[in-house]
Amino acid sequence: MQVPYTWLREYVPLEASPEQLAERLAVTTAEVDRVSWRGVADSEGNFDNFRVGRVLEAGKHPNADRLQLCKVDVGEAEPRQIVCGAWNFGAGATVAVGLPGAVVPGGMKLERVKLRGSVSEGMIMSERELELSQDHSGIMLLPDDWEPGSRLADHFALGEAVLELEVTGNRPDLLSVYGLARDVAALYKLELAPPPGTDPKMVGDERVQVSVEDFVGCPRYVGRLFRDVKIGASPPWLKARLSGAGMRPISNVVDVTNYVMLALGNPLHAFDLERLAESSLIVRRARSGEEMRTLDGVDRKLDLRDLVIADAEKPMAIAGIMGGEESEVADTSSSILLESANFEPVGILESSERLKLRTEGSNRWEKGVDPYLAGQAAELATELIVQLADARWVGHADIQGELPARPVVHFRPERADELVGVEIPAKEQRGLLERFGFEVAKDWTVTVPTFRARDVTREIDLIEEIARVHLDEVPFTLPARRAMWGRLTREQRLRRRIEDTLCGLGFVEAYTYSLVDSDPNPKAIRLPDPLTAEHALLRTTILGGLISSLERNLDAGNEDIALFEIAHVYLPGKEELPAEPVRIAGLTRGGFARAKGAVEALYRALAAPEPSFVPAGELPFLHPSKTARVGEAGWVGELHPELAPGEWGAFELDLSTLAEVCEDVVVYSDVISFPAVKQDLSFVVAEGALAGEMITAAREAAGADLRAMDVSDVYRGSQLGAGMKSITFAVAFQSEERTLSDTEASSLREKIVQALAERFDATLRA
Amino acid sequence: MVQDRPKRLVNGRTRVVPVDVEKLEQEAASALEQADSLEQLEELRVRFLGRSSELKLALREVRDRESGMGLNALRQRLEAALEEKRSTLEHAELQRKLMAESIDVTLPGESFPEGRLHLITQIRREVEDVFLGLGYMIVDGREVETTRYNFDGLNMPSWHPSRSPGHSLFLSDDVLLRTETSPSQIRVMEAQKPPVYMISPGRVYRRDTPDATHSPVFHQVEGLAVDRGISLADLKGTLLHLMRALFGEKRELRFRTHFFPFTEPSIEPDVSCHMCDGAGCPVCKQSGWIEMGGAGIVDPNVLEFVGYDPEEVSGFAFGLGLERIALLRHRVPDIRLLWENDLRFSRQF
Repeated sequence: MQVPYTWLREYVPLEASPEQLAERLAVTTAEVDRVSWRGVADSEGNFDNFRVGRVLEAGKHPNADRLQLCKVDVGEAEPRQIVCGAWNFGAGATVAVGLPGAVVPGGMKLERVKLRGSVSEGMIMSERELELSQDHSGIMLLPDDWEPGSRLADHFALGEAVLELEVTGNRPDLLSVYGLARDVAALYKLELAPPPGTDPKMVGDERVQVSVEDFVGCPRYVGRLFRDVKIGASPPWLKARLSGAGMRPISNVVDVTNYVMLALGNPLHAFDLERLAESSLIVRRARSGEEMRTLDGVDRKLDLRDLVIADAEKPMAIAGIMGGEESEVADTSSSILLESANFEPVGILESSERLKLRTEGSNRWEKGVDPYLAGQAAELATELIVQLADARWVGHADIQGELPARPVVHFRPERADELVGVEIPAKEQRGLLERFGFEVAKDWTVTVPTFRARDVTREIDLIEEIARVHLDEVPFTLPARRAMWGRLTREQRLRRRIEDTLCGLGFVEAYTYSLVDSDPNPKAIRLPDPLTAEHALLRTTILGGLISSLERNLDAGNEDIALFEIAHVYLPGKEELPAEPVRIAGLTRGGFARAKGAVEALYRALAAPEPSFVPAGELPFLHPSKTARVGEAGWVGELHPELAPGEWGAFELDLSTLAEVCEDVVVYSDVISFPAVKQDLSFVVAEGALAGEMITAAREAAGADLRAMDVSDVYRGSQLGAGMKSITFAVAFQSEERTLSDTEASSLREKIVQALAERFDATLRA
Repeated sequence: MVQDRPKRLVNGRTRVVPVDVEKLEQEAASALEQADSLEQLEELRVRFLGRSSELKLALREVRDRESGMGLNALRQRLEAALEEKRSTLEHAELQRKLMAESIDVTLPGESFPEGRLHLITQIRREVEDVFLGLGYMIVDGREVETTRYNFDGLNMPSWHPSRSPGHSLFLSDDVLLRTETSPSQIRVMEAQKPPVYMISPGRVYRRDTPDATHSPVFHQVEGLAVDRGISLADLKGTLLHLMRALFGEKRELRFRTHFFPFTEPSIEPDVSCHMCDGAGCPVCKQSGWIEMGGAGIVDPNVLEFVGYDPEEVSGFAFGLGLERIALLRHRVPDIRLLWENDLRFSRQF
């Protein structure tokens, strides 16, 4: 909402500067995006340089075909000679003149110049040059009763500050200059002018043929009929206000409808009566298959739910959103049917979204316009149409359904104190509510004004009215706690430890989108209406996102790439909502072994028992023969070589499964007191034997005194025979209770040798 | 001890021992004094303690116990003196060698793999730690939600724009990707009695086309305190504490009135600009203040929805964007950088 400052001050005698007001409003009322300026700058007497001029002589410039040479009376002893490029005027015209020294909008300073050999002592201005409208087809013609030499600023707002407000959805009353003035008057304890608009005398008694079929959608419809309407341009003051409010002046009648919307907040519409079949209007829902062309020239298919204003035959406007091209007020229109109605918000919002059509009008309707406002709006519009278009007001109709009652709320000032956290005297609270338009009875029964009836229905809503004025006084406290139990949960602690461990291992944490373009799981949840095809599926694995990040890093020439991400994945199941387990995924340079090393390091850091690694066969994204299941928690593997050049290792583990296998408390075991007996054992086995299974078998055979058994070398050579390999294990025997004797160590070793011979046909190499 | 005995013996026995102990010891002392290499030291050892040295020969000859003890004491003293000198020379030798090993200390160190937490994780943890310190619990909410938790429980009217597929990402009529972290408030309150003190950080989803300041997926942290007597002042103090933790001790906080369906009164907190200390700069658009999300007193309808009595307890709630903190505090110019995972970017932080 753009609010021209002088317009606001017509309703409230405010002394504060626009900037001061903006600062106050931002805290109490609505955000002010900025204070801008429309029109001529008001600095150092600049307004004095813009005068009304009367053209005394006008003729072709002697040295230029396209220029006029004029003598213009600007109230001085001698007329001024001014060269002008426009031809839409002649001697006798009243024009707007900028004198040398004047700074025009945009910042250019006018000077006395010679144009094609003739001195020009000023400039005759167009509307666009004064920022009154976009019109630059010629210079601006002023009413002839304006005194030559008088200041333009004395006739209309030549330049003024404009507050650009961002009004929240609960305050449609602020989408009007008068509504804002009401809040300002209450805040500054100033007197508010009565609402603008008083009906002139009706000069005729014609029947206005309007009817309402749907009172839910349209609780009120005021129709007014005007004859002998003279469509023309609006006067400068009106253009200045509309431009300041960000709207384009069009013609007097259309401008009046916009002006009333801006002034009071009730959007209006004017129909050319002669274009209406049977000169009648009906408010109804659209019928099956109905279409209409709106003012913007677009043909629109209507829905049965859309509320329309139709003539006897077809829709002439989409209620509250946009009028139709066919019955649009044109320069030739002379009979006008003015609509000042009230429409139900939700229906307008839904139609507007269906049609993807948002207008100044729909923006107000969808937030809820005071149903009692239509009468006042009709009065202001009637007054202005009669005055500006020289029209006769000849007919009036006011059709009302059931208008909502004003909410009545019981209010406790002490409750406001409690919730706001500031003590505000009850008398002050009462005064504040009353200034905001609430009626407060002796017993604190509060009746809400119609213009706030949608937003304020409960005590808490009234408390907000008190709070918003006292926000700066609210002190800084912390809740007085009676109980405290904040701490990380076990999984949260675990997650942090995982993050820190992976960082320590050189992994950089990545964040990738949960919405992906493809997913290996055919059951992955697909959004029926995704933002783009790239974000159409909810991922069931994180790895895909990491691969994209890997590609980006490879393209960038980055080295030492290792990425991890911890995030939800989304697994559809039988429930309404998918399961959302948290997964830990990693992708690192160095192939399978490096990824597995990271997983092993992670398990050790979490004090989790070493998991089993079991060949997993083919898995999405992975090299088909380099994959393994990691216990129950997930998998580790090597990236399929088609996906990225070089060897890349990857893993994905489930956080809560990891949490299950982690020890809460690690219990001490004596690894210090008694020395370990260390040996290297090399076994020749068939190629298919798995080192991990051999270790498991050895542990089963040797028991707890086999403290460590790690693969230190794998060797293949002709002397071993085809299909055979030799695996060397670094073995440590250690007891927690005593130093193991050589005999005990040999016996343990013998158990291992036997077990591996039985299970794997392994022979110990000499 | 070794030093005491020879003295006594020397004093008593010099005349009866054929070797002039005192002279020999002085001779050895002065020779040792002059030795300046391990080679020379070895020569001296042979000369004074070697097999055919005067002392060894005398020891071999000695017959009486007292002379023997005196000579042995001398031997020990000489050995000790030699050893001491050896140690000094060795140390000097090592020192010479080390001095010759000077290096270019400006050469780079050996490289270690450089892992890093994502900037958003770093900020998330900072926020979590602030609230852990205040005794809040941290809740990891679900991201796919029902309209019941995402809208109904939060007092969002049926016509609210975010209920429309034009603003939010729906999976079905009743299921969508949560549009804010607030649904976890409702779930927690449904599951437990007041008091509740919680924050919930996580991903949220909007139908926003990605650009420098928008992302269809981003991170919020939601905070909720419900207890007896909670007021706007408690909210103000809590947020000031958080903002000072995030943006420095000099920060100030103000409230501006606003509107959200789930809070009443609703406010937007502004923090004084950390770039200009409130003087006005491009970061705060010359206002001196920076918007930091939304907050307010929990609407009674929300409390009633979960079965709490709004006359008994009150609460405050707030929501902040973690990306916004990253962009503001670290001057990251484009939100998309946070999703690209370029190591050169990630390793900056």
